[in-house]
Amino acid sequence: MNAVELLGEVIEISHSNLEINSRISAILNIIAHRMGFEEVLVFKLDKDKRITCRYSNQDCSLFSLLSKYRCHIGEGIIGSIAQKRIPQYFTYKDIPPRFGCIFFHELDGIIDRYRSFAFVPLSDDSYIYGVMVAISSEKGDLQDREKILLSVIAREIGGLIRVDEIMLSSKKRISELVTLSELGKVLTTNMEPEAALKNIVFIIAKALNATMATIKLNNFVSRFNIQRFTYGQSDPKLERFIDDLEGQAINAKRTTTLSEELYVDDEDISHYSLCSSPIITKNKAIGAMTICSSKKHITFDQNDNIAYLITTIANYISSGLENILLNTRLKDVIKELNETQKRVIEQEKLKSLGEMTANIAHEIKNPLVIIGGFTKRLAKKVNLSQTENRYANIIVNEVARLETILNEVLNYVKDTPVSREPCNINMCIDEILYLFSSDASWEKVKIVKDYDTQLPQIICDIQQIKQVFINILVNSYEAMKGEGEITIKTGTAHINNKPYIKVAISDTGGGIDPMAIDNIFNPFFTTKEKGTGLGLAISNKIIMNNKGRIEVENNVGKGVTFFIYLPLENNL
Amino acid sequence: MKDKKILIVDDEENIRILFKEELEEEGYEIDVASNGYEALEKIKKSPFDLVVLDIKMPGMDGIQTLNEIKKIKKDQHVILCSAYGEFKQDFSSWISDAYVVKSADTGELKNTIKNILNLT
Ligand SMILES: Nc1ncnc2c1ncn2[C@@H]1O[C@H](COP(=O)(O)OP(=O)(O)O)[C@@H](O)[C@H]1O
Ligand SMILES: [Mg+2]
Repeated sequence: MNAVELLGEVIEISHSNLEINSRISAILNIIAHRMGFEEVLVFKLDKDKRITCRYSNQDCSLFSLLSKYRCHIGEGIIGSIAQKRIPQYFTYKDIPPRFGCIFFHELDGIIDRYRSFAFVPLSDDSYIYGVMVAISSEKGDLQDREKILLSVIAREIGGLIRVDEIMLSSKKRISELVTLSELGKVLTTNMEPEAALKNIVFIIAKALNATMATIKLNNFVSRFNIQRFTYGQSDPKLERFIDDLEGQAINAKRTTTLSEELYVDDEDISHYSLCSSPIITKNKAIGAMTICSSKKHITFDQNDNIAYLITTIANYISSGLENILLNTRLKDVIKELNETQKRVIEQEKLKSLGEMTANIAHEIKNPLVIIGGFTKRLAKKVNLSQTENRYANIIVNEVARLETILNEVLNYVKDTPVSREPCNINMCIDEILYLFSSDASWEKVKIVKDYDTQLPQIICDIQQIKQVFINILVNSYEAMKGEGEITIKTGTAHINNKPYIKVAISDTGGGIDPMAIDNIFNPFFTTKEKGTGLGLAISNKIIMNNKGRIEVENNVGKGVTFFIYLPLENNL
Repeated sequence: MKDKKILIVDDEENIRILFKEELEEEGYEIDVASNGYEALEKIKKSPFDLVVLDIKMPGMDGIQTLNEIKKIKKDQHVILCSAYGEFKQDFSSWISDAYVVKSADTGELKNTIKNILNLT
């Protein structure tokens, strides 16, 4: 046997681009053939610090037996080699070595067949990766050069395992990083929260090769219509377990796994493994992310790397979710701002429209006066027949109507200063009601008064405020077509902790069309054939000028209540 | 009543005609002017018991004319008249005796004139 040649072959194989398992097996085969060992095995130290027989040469007969058992460091001959990191050699003259933590009865009578045993640690200067065992039935004591050769090869295999582990963990690390970066992308785009969550469960399920990933959000932010976001198919039998696990994760605020005890009605569903991690924002668990995997792919374990990864992802989602929600809130605010801006622009438009209208109205006023004035003169001057007289009257009446409209328009447009005088609103309303009561067309309107007799006086422009009440009462009258009930209630109220008097005027006029309600305060909005659409616009303007508020409550099919708030003296 | 002289100042001819005829029917003696300058000239030449003054006129508007009139004749009765009450709050309009919003219905104007000339 040429040692240099043999080592050359080993190194060639170890640097080939074969898969790691094949490389180690090939090396073990070389040892078997060239050095005359029937059994060459490699025990590997796993992450859980237990040692398992993983590789052997092709014709090895002991592998199936030895690979059944695992041992700890220090246990049995393998464990002790791994602990001491010094090779040991036995011959048939020595006591047969104990291979595992227990004495293998199965080895009874088998071990006796062999004459020579070599146990060589796979280690470099700092780490131990496992133990190589070479067994021969031919050899007696091993020669020094054989021992050295075995040690050199063992070192090479150790190196192989080491590189592989590094590769594996870096591959895993890379895929974790890819997953995290994908999540990062989702969490930092300004996607809608729902869409983002759907993407997140998709990415996680794919990254972990899970059968299902689900995010459940607790009584969380009511803006979500959906409380659970799931990707993949969940076995219905698992539902109960998932619920429980989520509950545990949320309550304990830490990642929880479930791999055993998955039985439903004696049916074993323990081929699944579950892991649930809480989603925590501001130290409050607002939900949980749960991964369901088939044990074929991953088994979750509390101390596992994967559980750790899932915890990391859950934390990531938590902060991302906050971002997203912040984003959405920001979007809402921007939307609101935009709307406000639009409203301001609309108001500006209306204002300039109003000014234009005022100019037009002004220009129209003179011709109108002339038309009306001369029609009247015509009717007076000539001896008109009855029909002609009727026509003239129609012209005069229509001119009068146009004039009223023009006056209203012009009134709306011009800025009337507010005068300030003490006013008893109950009395002010009574005066208006007195006016109406003398009007026959108001006969069928029942007025119900519900006054606060202790109502404090306020400072306001009485004439203007009266105008408001008149406008609202006339609207009610018109909505009820002259027949119904109007309730007027006065009292005090607070808005933002500031005192106001409050007048509520309710009618039984069937309410306002919900499509129209947003427009009723707009100038020129009317649903009436002969309306001007200015009553409420003027009322609104007056109430605003008097530092009050006007609100409307619409009961479609029943009626409308207008609320007028006017500030008390100390609130001006 | 026959002896009461009223000057109507308005840039719109038909308004002048309408007011003139309506007021003549009431028995007043009416003269007209189509702008502020003409009105001032007429007032300087002969006295009027009352001036009905339109506010919105090209050139010198009614308010300015009113101020000029008051310079010439401090106690001249003046009724301001306009398409709408836009100048009611204007302090300078307060030196007029009354403020009437123009209407096809000349009733208010006639009543106001009667009041001012103490004819009721
Ligand atoms: N009490 C009410 N019941 C039903 N609809 C009303 C009531 N008050 C106002 N509205 C609606 O609001 C519109 C605007 O009212 P308003 O500004 O007063 O103008 P107008 O009375 O000339 O139509 C009305 O045309 C009507 O459709
Ligand atoms: Mg109205």
